[in-house]
Amino acid sequence: MAPITIASGWPIEARRPLWGGIALIGLIGGIALLAPLFGDPYHQDFVHGLSPAGLPVGPTPAHPLGTDTLGRDVLARVALAGRVSLSIGILAAFLSLALGATVGMFAGFYGGVLEAAGMRLTDIGLALPTTLAGLALTALLPAGLLRPVAIITLLFWAYPARLVYNETLRMRRRGFVEAAVAMGEARHRILLRHILPHLRSLLLTYAPMNAAAAVMMEATLSYLGAGVPLPTPSWGNMISEGQGALAFAPHLFLAPAAFLMLTTSGLLLIAEGLKRIHPEGARFSWLAL
Amino acid sequence: MARFIGMRVAHGAVTLLGLIVLTFALQFIIPGDPVRMLAPRTPSEEVARRIRAQLGLDRPWWEQLGRYLLRVAQGDLGESYVRRQPVARLIAGRLPATAALALAGVLAEILLGLPVGIAMALSPRLRGLLSGLNLILLSMPTFVIGIALLLALGFGARLFPTTGGAGLRELILPALTLGLAGTPWYAGVVRDRLEESLGSSYVRMAVAKGLPNRWILFRHCLPHVFPALATMAGMDLGAYLSGVVVVEAIFGWPGIGLLAVQAMQTLDRPVVMGTLLVGGASVIALNGVADGLRMILDPRTREEVG
Repeated sequence: MAPITIASGWPIEARRPLWGGIALIGLIGGIALLAPLFGDPYHQDFVHGLSPAGLPVGPTPAHPLGTDTLGRDVLARVALAGRVSLSIGILAAFLSLALGATVGMFAGFYGGVLEAAGMRLTDIGLALPTTLAGLALTALLPAGLLRPVAIITLLFWAYPARLVYNETLRMRRRGFVEAAVAMGEARHRILLRHILPHLRSLLLTYAPMNAAAAVMMEATLSYLGAGVPLPTPSWGNMISEGQGALAFAPHLFLAPAAFLMLTTSGLLLIAEGLKRIHPEGARFSWLAL
Repeated sequence: MARFIGMRVAHGAVTLLGLIVLTFALQFIIPGDPVRMLAPRTPSEEVARRIRAQLGLDRPWWEQLGRYLLRVAQGDLGESYVRRQPVARLIAGRLPATAALALAGVLAEILLGLPVGIAMALSPRLRGLLSGLNLILLSMPTFVIGIALLLALGFGARLFPTTGGAGLRELILPALTLGLAGTPWYAGVVRDRLEESLGSSYVRMAVAKGLPNRWILFRHCLPHVFPALATMAGMDLGAYLSGVVVVEAIFGWPGIGLLAVQAMQTLDRPVVMGTLLVGGASVIALNGVADGLRMILDPRTREEVG
């Protein structure tokens, strides 16, 4: 009985998810960039935007995604919210990854006090219950568009720090680092020239997942009223508004939720594709089925 | 074993102490005047000074930190600005509801994730479909899953109440939300461990002996999955005990998370900080328990003690 090969991942080519994800992100990013073309997100249309009973209307030619309870165009709002949510999410994802990678690399490479302090802080960071800590920071920091960026950065740096720390420790024991030390290269040069390049694929696959998590976290914070302050739309606070109208206007929830999910699934597809470019090896089974 | 437990407890205690100091530092560094929360609209200098003295805010920082540590060690988390009740009592009152939801959520995750993971490992045909479903679930933040369930099963099919409460019927949707949010993670771990096991020499041996597939799966493969599953469940339980914030907020489940959301909205700092401390403590404690559980279930990891 021949062993049956199980391809790791999905039964489609390795690069398809990567390109699919890039296409999705391009689509959402394009709509967000072109937001002003879809009309004024704050304009209240009392003529076509509200039914005679004063309720929001569903999709019509004038409002392709319908209107909200105040008669504002949902498409225009979702597009503008895309700008807000994407820039906050991606900025926070980048900052947290950079901060975490720096802490992890320094702690792993230099050791000593840096290692002890950095890793104890990481332990605390990993023990923080994410959403609760987000609420606590909200209560402490001044309101504004930068508050969610700061909160997500402070909540998300610990995971990459731990990953990079472990990887750096492993690298430090490798022969090429020992050789560089023996040749008398400066320590910071070893870190930049010999260790950082080896962290590239780890950081590259982690980055899109981190971005997906950051976009979701921004939406969560805004949903709880702890993120983007009204009246600026973000997908999270639009979903929160839509929840109140679930019984009579579910499109107010479905439209921002769909945009949010297309974004995060696009980022996750990119992560999946990048992972498949460096596969860990195919698996097989002895069990005939 | 005893040495491991000692190390783990010490490690947890250091982390917890760090967390307490951190919550203090955050409150100390970041401006925000509690006087404004407590005093009448425009307090006179004299009133403001007296409130600060009463709260000990006119003391040097090291004295304040010392008092704070002493109070926390005695289980005193301060008094709510808004509700004028001890924070510890407020949180204790919410604990049973959160614990029930956390348990139900972890149970739902295992009940959904285990069969999905097994199906993905064993059936190449189902794998594509289930991976797609997992991707959809992964791309939804928990609160979107919750509202979608509310829309489909509450408002659409009218199977479940939509107004909140703390009964058994009201527990189903929040627990299902947590379960669906966790399914891709659990299924992924189950699939990975199962595939590892299917390719191992002990399964080869069992096949060679002519054991039936079902027997091999249940007696040889699944025991390889359980340690990882137990670790995940333990860590999730810790995280959920800290208040399943969004789920509680969506469904109006009266737990710690809902308390924290309400306190955040009224800028009730002692309550927010109290929930953060209790939540962090439960994460640290349950992570330790999860590690211990994994060592009991998987003897090989007992050697990692260091």
